[in-house]
Amino acid sequence: MRRFDIVTLESPNRAPLRIEGFIFGEENTKAPSVAIVGAMSGDHINQLYVASGLVEYLRIKEEEGKIVGKILVIPAVNAYALNMGEKNWPLDKTDINTMFPGYDQGETTQRIAGRLFETLKGYDYGIILEGRRDQGMCIPYVKLIQSGYEDIESVKDLGIGFVHYRAHEPVETVMLQYNWQLWETKAFSIVFGKNGSIDQGASDEVHMALVRFLSKRGMLDFSVFEGRMSNIIDPNRITILKASRAGIFISNVRCGAHVQKGEVIGKIIDALSGERREKLLSPCEGIVTCQYSHPLIFQNSIAFRIASVELNYVSKD
Amino acid sequence: MGLIEEVFTIELPVGENFRIQRCRYTSPNTEAKKRISIVSGIHGDELEGQYVCFLLGEWLRNNPDKIKGTIDIYPAINSLGIDSITRSIPFYDVDLNRTFPGSKNDFLPAQIADGVVDVMRGSDFAIDIHSSNVFLREIPQVRIAKAQEASLVPLANLLNIDFVWVHDAVTVLESTFAHAMNTIGTKTLVVEMGVGMRLGHAYGHQLLKGILNLMAHEGIIESKPLDVRFPIQSHVGEVAYLNASCPGLFVPAIEHCQMITKGSVVGHIVNALSGEVMDEVIAPIGGILFTLRAYPIVYEGSLLGRIFGESE
Repeated sequence: MRRFDIVTLESPNRAPLRIEGFIFGEENTKAPSVAIVGAMSGDHINQLYVASGLVEYLRIKEEEGKIVGKILVIPAVNAYALNMGEKNWPLDKTDINTMFPGYDQGETTQRIAGRLFETLKGYDYGIILEGRRDQGMCIPYVKLIQSGYEDIESVKDLGIGFVHYRAHEPVETVMLQYNWQLWETKAFSIVFGKNGSIDQGASDEVHMALVRFLSKRGMLDFSVFEGRMSNIIDPNRITILKASRAGIFISNVRCGAHVQKGEVIGKIIDALSGERREKLLSPCEGIVTCQYSHPLIFQNSIAFRIASVELNYVSKD
Repeated sequence: MGLIEEVFTIELPVGENFRIQRCRYTSPNTEAKKRISIVSGIHGDELEGQYVCFLLGEWLRNNPDKIKGTIDIYPAINSLGIDSITRSIPFYDVDLNRTFPGSKNDFLPAQIADGVVDVMRGSDFAIDIHSSNVFLREIPQVRIAKAQEASLVPLANLLNIDFVWVHDAVTVLESTFAHAMNTIGTKTLVVEMGVGMRLGHAYGHQLLKGILNLMAHEGIIESKPLDVRFPIQSHVGEVAYLNASCPGLFVPAIEHCQMITKGSVVGHIVNALSGEVMDEVIAPIGGILFTLRAYPIVYEGSLLGRIFGESE
């Protein structure tokens, strides 16, 4: 294992920002290379946990002589935000993951993204551990956006049950996955957990998925159990159940639960009177892939996302 | 008197509603007429636009007989942000102006964006007033994406602003209010002026005159076109960026909105601990310093200023 600084940035008053990388194995013409990026935001604690756990796992495997390809793990990009309980870059509040491919003569987070991206270029595979943008929690799923350069076959080796395969949103054109794909790295994201916390079950699953991927793609000389068969899900297979009222949100189910049409899966309580304002009924049969994670819910917030084999039900508007 | 309406509302969890309000002034004449939306507060830390909204409302209240079209004033889109000195949407920490066109089936910021587009759909014009942010001070300017240059520059020239900056669209701009509105046929101008969390009287009055002039041109108010300044056009020169070469405390050597010559000193970056001057910031071109940093703590790369000058 080689531990090194990818980016060092001096601060006016704090210790320098260091983005550290951990390299395992060597360039090998027979085996591919992969770079894995952990927490880009200050609230991506699950992602930090999985990435740092992977560093420790790979350190042991390297000592056992099991590393075949070249593996780079970057547990934390935005350590400054992680250390302050902030989400974005603490000074100007910009999101580093909207600054790619970066610009070395630009503003601070553009420079950070640019220097990071220089290191990330050229890897065969790129894996981004992501948290959600909203107040949600979710089972681990692969987010694969359509850029024209995506590789849907490689993500199946993770053995993760759901691959959300969809067109990119405007803001995603400045995110790492999209740009990494444009530079011909087979890049994808694994989205999981709830921001600001550690979901041990989801983290274990993602850890095993990463090990499985490394094993199946020939970077790790180590056999692992098969994972799940990946279901390729386009947005039309996701049914959204919104809260028609605001209040205290109580869920009756956990992410990953199989629910039936008409099943009571949650409720909204008036935060002041205690009255039940809404009973949340599953609009279809399927798997709860994602649910609202904060106890206080806004009107029209998405309470549940349910993946099913049927085309989606039109949610309440 | 304008009609105050609540045009978008979402229940908040504990006994309150998030709402977007507008004040609508319209002519009693029911003939076909144009509609304009004056928008501010998409970011919660920018308040110059609120003052312009006030001034415009005051003018319209005093001149109801001159109203020939529909004028909608939206001073506070991100009302939660404005009332908590928060640039982004509180709770989600998301920049609303990176969330457009939004969606009814996404998180709250996207729903707000979708609601904003819905309510303003059908406006002939929109003017989206920003103050840059808390870090930078700007002269009154309109920024236009290259793709909309032909249709928007003639309108911007009516606005009594100092500078029209046509720039290459970066992809992130596709997630802005202006892009979303221009896409659906509302000619939308983005005004930047002043500095975040502060209010400048002069810029407010300057832009009010421009808005009245634009409305007079378009027949939304009955008035002769006003005598307004013609802005500098970005295509006749170039914009030079001044980015910090090192971290420290930026101490400007000159005032904002000054003409400077190539090679002159814009400011210094100093180290408060050691007492050293870390860097001298030099103007790479001569011209007008139309952006100057207002918040002095800088990292490498922090924007210190922008100069518009002649191309070499």
